[in-house]
Amino acid sequence: MITPRTRRALRRTLRRQLLPKLGVVMFGLLVVGALCAPVLTPHDPTTQQLDEKLRPPIGFSGQTEQTSSQLVDGEVKTVTETTTVSATWTYPLGTDALGRDMLSRVLYGARTSLLVGILGTAVAAIIGVPTGLIAGYYGGRIDDALMRSGDVMLAFPSLVLAVALVGLFGTATVRIPDPWVVLGITPSMPSHVVLPGTVVLVVGLVNWVWLARIARGEAMGLANAPYVLAARSVGASDRYIIRHHVLPNALTPILVMATIQVATIVLLESALAFLGFTGTTLSWGFDVSQGRDLLSTAWWVTTIPGFAIVFAVFAVNLIGDWFRDALDPGIDAGGGGGP
Amino acid sequence: MVSGRFLARRLGHGVVVVWAIVTVVFLLRYSTPGSVVTTIAPLDASPQLKAEIAKELSLHEPIYVQYAHYLGDLLRFDLGHSYVTNTPVRQLLASRLPQTLDLAIAATIVAITIAIPLGVVSATRRHTPTDYAATSFSLVGISTPNFWLGLVLVLVFAVGMGWFPVSGPARANGEVISAIDVLYAPQLAGRWLIHLTLPAVTLGTYFTALLTRLTRSGVLEELEEPYVRTLRSSGLPPVVIRYQHVLRNALVPVVTVLGLQLGTLIGGAVITERVFAWHGLGSLLIDAINDRDWMVVQGCLIVIGVGFVVINAVVDGIYAQLDPEVSIE
Repeated sequence: MITPRTRRALRRTLRRQLLPKLGVVMFGLLVVGALCAPVLTPHDPTTQQLDEKLRPPIGFSGQTEQTSSQLVDGEVKTVTETTTVSATWTYPLGTDALGRDMLSRVLYGARTSLLVGILGTAVAAIIGVPTGLIAGYYGGRIDDALMRSGDVMLAFPSLVLAVALVGLFGTATVRIPDPWVVLGITPSMPSHVVLPGTVVLVVGLVNWVWLARIARGEAMGLANAPYVLAARSVGASDRYIIRHHVLPNALTPILVMATIQVATIVLLESALAFLGFTGTTLSWGFDVSQGRDLLSTAWWVTTIPGFAIVFAVFAVNLIGDWFRDALDPGIDAGGGGGP
Repeated sequence: MVSGRFLARRLGHGVVVVWAIVTVVFLLRYSTPGSVVTTIAPLDASPQLKAEIAKELSLHEPIYVQYAHYLGDLLRFDLGHSYVTNTPVRQLLASRLPQTLDLAIAATIVAITIAIPLGVVSATRRHTPTDYAATSFSLVGISTPNFWLGLVLVLVFAVGMGWFPVSGPARANGEVISAIDVLYAPQLAGRWLIHLTLPAVTLGTYFTALLTRLTRSGVLEELEEPYVRTLRSSGLPPVVIRYQHVLRNALVPVVTVLGLQLGTLIGGAVITERVFAWHGLGSLLIDAINDRDWMVVQGCLIVIGVGFVVINAVVDGIYAQLDPEVSIE
């Protein structure tokens, strides 16, 4: 349970150390950017303006090549014209190959990453935590059966399994109305947030084992705790004991692992989007893949969304480290990573 | 030493997990939505042709018969034929595996040679600039998606500096070369290495960062142990204490987590291959998924799953060597 003591420990670490502060500030910026994306930028992230394409970010200059066929001396020749494109404050982070504003795409991409990261972790927790608690609490054959099935899951790298599952079952998306547009504050912005539904389920499905392992370890230790034995002796059911005694006492380490999973899942989503397997094109990973063929001419199209991914995962990892250091649940520093 | 009983039990466990893996993979393929026949047959195929294809693939049989055939084929190492090219899947896998192994092994070597010394130095010089630098590097390292890192490395070192090729494996006479070919023809080593460098660094960075973090926390924990003080007071040089005693004990938990994280390495290899147009299992898998070539997908998943189990068994063996209690238990 999040007891006053836990809260004190968290606050103490936050006050004394620099990195947790940095993590909170970075994560805060990310959440504000995602929530307020439509008011923070005047440009629709999906609007294409070909005459504004490949503008560099402020402080840099870029070049675009235009090939056209011209009739020269009675022969058709391909002529390549190179024009220098200058940066403009209208597009502070530049534009991509279709003239879409990079800043808008970065802000809107944060929505996809955070939604998938948090909802995916929730799916993993819904599957993993009960499984782990039951396995650890009962032990014996039930434990063996549940955790062996987890071993089989671990034998497939989560990215490989996720790719296979999304490949098999396709990419369904859920369209969530954007409150800013519904309320009429930013009527010209995209009216819906496209949530890659299959991806949320799949990333949860391939990551539950980590949460189950932690929950199991805790439940094993708690199964014979004095208060659990006391509850059992007065006739409390196993279900009641797991819910009211085991789960609350196992919550801290589960919370730490869940934070690590958010980082893992954000990375996993970006990798799936990079491979083109998520069904939404408003995603940092997808934007990185868009810039691949432009590496030599427009470096920013790949680089900027990549920085956004590093920023987000770094922020979540700092928060994970903060929780771990403050609460010391004995989870190895392995931590939040992914593909 | 590793006891025979420990090995036997580990082997038994491995066999059960392998069986479960191949079964899961079978069920995945079986539950593919849409008919395989429509994938293979031409658009204007006659019903007779479609029926023939279904019969050829024994799709009309009930699931348990298909499953029995599948297990029987697997025991003979027959993984079927590609739906798209009709090449035996076994042959496809064999042609791709060396490339993936090159990449994975090179990345592991990069990770181990950098991370273990870095982790030890970081722990023994805690709260110094060296430690902060190592800690920051590892935090950024585990937060960086490797497909992006790969592209940035290409941007800087291939497009910018021109030191390395932009993508693709080394080739000789049009054939892709791997470590095995280099053994037979050492003059190819340079070309092979220059193609391997960027992909290996890309794949290895995440693992280096992870391993540095694990080694650092492991060594920090060991340094608190009373035996370290005893060794120190008996006048052993710090280098001997650090690398012969502390590191050996600190590596036990590191190896465990590393075994579990191997999946991450293989998953990372899939996407790294994509970035560098590497001619390995990962590219094969992604192409097969895009082509809906489920036989090839199935073969890739089996090789990856079984490979993971085998590597983990080896890791367990190393673990037992490091910590004798494990094998006696």
